[in-house]
Amino acid sequence: MIQKIRGDLRLYLASAWYSYRALYAWQTFGPYISGKVVFPIAQMLFFFFLGKLAGTHDPLYIVLGNILLLPAINGIAGVSMTISGERDFSTLPYLIASPAPRGPLFLGRSLVHILDGLLSTIVAFILGVLFFHIDLTHSNLALTVLCILLLSVTSCGMGLVFGSLSLRSRDAWTITSMFFILLYMLSGVNFPVSVLPKFLQVISYSLPLTRGIQAARLAMNGADWSGIQSLFMGEMLIGLAYIVIGYLMFIWFEKLSLVDGQIEAM
Amino acid sequence: MWLNRLPFVWKQMNVQFQMRAMQWFSFGLIVTQPVIFSAVGYFLARAAGRTQIDLIHTIIGSGVMGLWSTLLFTSFYDLRADRREGTLELLVGSLTSIFSILAIRTFANVLLGSLSFLLSLIVAFLVFGFSPPISNLLYILVSLAVLFFCFWCIGLFLAHSPVVSRLSGLFVNYLELPIGLLTGFMFPISLLPGWAQGLAAFTPMVWAFNGLSASFQPGADPASLWKNWLTALGIACIYLIATFFMSKRVQDMIRVTGELSSV
Repeated sequence: MIQKIRGDLRLYLASAWYSYRALYAWQTFGPYISGKVVFPIAQMLFFFFLGKLAGTHDPLYIVLGNILLLPAINGIAGVSMTISGERDFSTLPYLIASPAPRGPLFLGRSLVHILDGLLSTIVAFILGVLFFHIDLTHSNLALTVLCILLLSVTSCGMGLVFGSLSLRSRDAWTITSMFFILLYMLSGVNFPVSVLPKFLQVISYSLPLTRGIQAARLAMNGADWSGIQSLFMGEMLIGLAYIVIGYLMFIWFEKLSLVDGQIEAM
Repeated sequence: MWLNRLPFVWKQMNVQFQMRAMQWFSFGLIVTQPVIFSAVGYFLARAAGRTQIDLIHTIIGSGVMGLWSTLLFTSFYDLRADRREGTLELLVGSLTSIFSILAIRTFANVLLGSLSFLLSLIVAFLVFGFSPPISNLLYILVSLAVLFFCFWCIGLFLAHSPVVSRLSGLFVNYLELPIGLLTGFMFPISLLPGWAQGLAAFTPMVWAFNGLSASFQPGADPASLWKNWLTALGIACIYLIATFFMSKRVQDMIRVTGELSSV
């Protein structure tokens, strides 16, 4: 048992290391950091001015929401890209043929994206403080960090769901990209979820991120654990459910592909 | 002379539409993204307690934003796809210049992206009861022609960047929102700080979109429209001329040095 856990942990860390080597080691500091600055600031400003045109009373709500979405974008895109990237580089069949357990193999590759997402959030917070004068003096910093960490992890479940589609369809990445855009509307990033029609609220609350973002906002306003407990636990459960669904989908698609020989066929 | 080129134009456009139009990615850029951006603008207005929205920026602007996104990703990825599939060498080696090939591909991409604009116009008409003055029809048509020409010039400029370096991909991915921000498709650029408005003046689409939104208003001032059209065309032509010379120089350079695909 202990040997199996050690083996899985070794595989998890090795996958994370190879993922880092493949995705970031070739990057130079300039383009990497400019991406970290340009994208968050453009995203914040775009929705900030959209809010200003609409006459929003609290533009900082939009700025904070978009900062909180950053770790989730990394989580979803990272895990999804991990699987679709293997397909693009024609290495997916080798991985599928290997006896290595799927969990640590693919989730290990997402570790780098979780860390990268956290770095994006830190940079975005610095930019938010500099450009939008976000006041963090009254926030519960420890709980805010915990919520951001939770968002990074729960979003990986969604990434696993979309990534699994890569086994059967080459359009999985497109679907993931469209889903990101949907998050600007559904996850309470730019306006409270209560503004949405009822059926969209149901969809919103069945996704990861919605509760996590609400909890992080409360923590930033200084709420303590009792104030965010139900949202935090709800986010954790939804995130866990998506991780399980994503994992089962992966196993199912893998089996299906092996049976009908359709892996990478579409 | 021009008639002889028609089969070439037709074949390039035909291939381009088959390669680009029938894709979920294009559908996402043309339909999904503008719908969601419009919806965000709509719900933001509702959250602010407003019942009316700015139709030109929230609905039609999102269609123009869709055109921009479609153009950016299709035009840029055209040559990148050639590079990946090994056809870039054949294109560079052929007698037809890269500029001519990309000019036609970019034109097809503008036509494809204009579907996004068309859809947003239909939504504005049917769902929100948008009704621009019919007496402005000529102004609207000229403004549209100027807008599409500006997009074509910028698209052509972008389409050339992968020939120069594969690192350009790192930057192109980050261009979508900043340019959308500066051009004020979804909100008036008067909301931007002064320095950003100064920067925005260098993009021809800003002037072209100003002209378009003015032509949708009753009592549009022809003098102001002409100013917007001519400025847009002037800046777009500067981009076009710069792209033409850049294209020729790069094509000559990579043929002489044999550095195609090495950078």
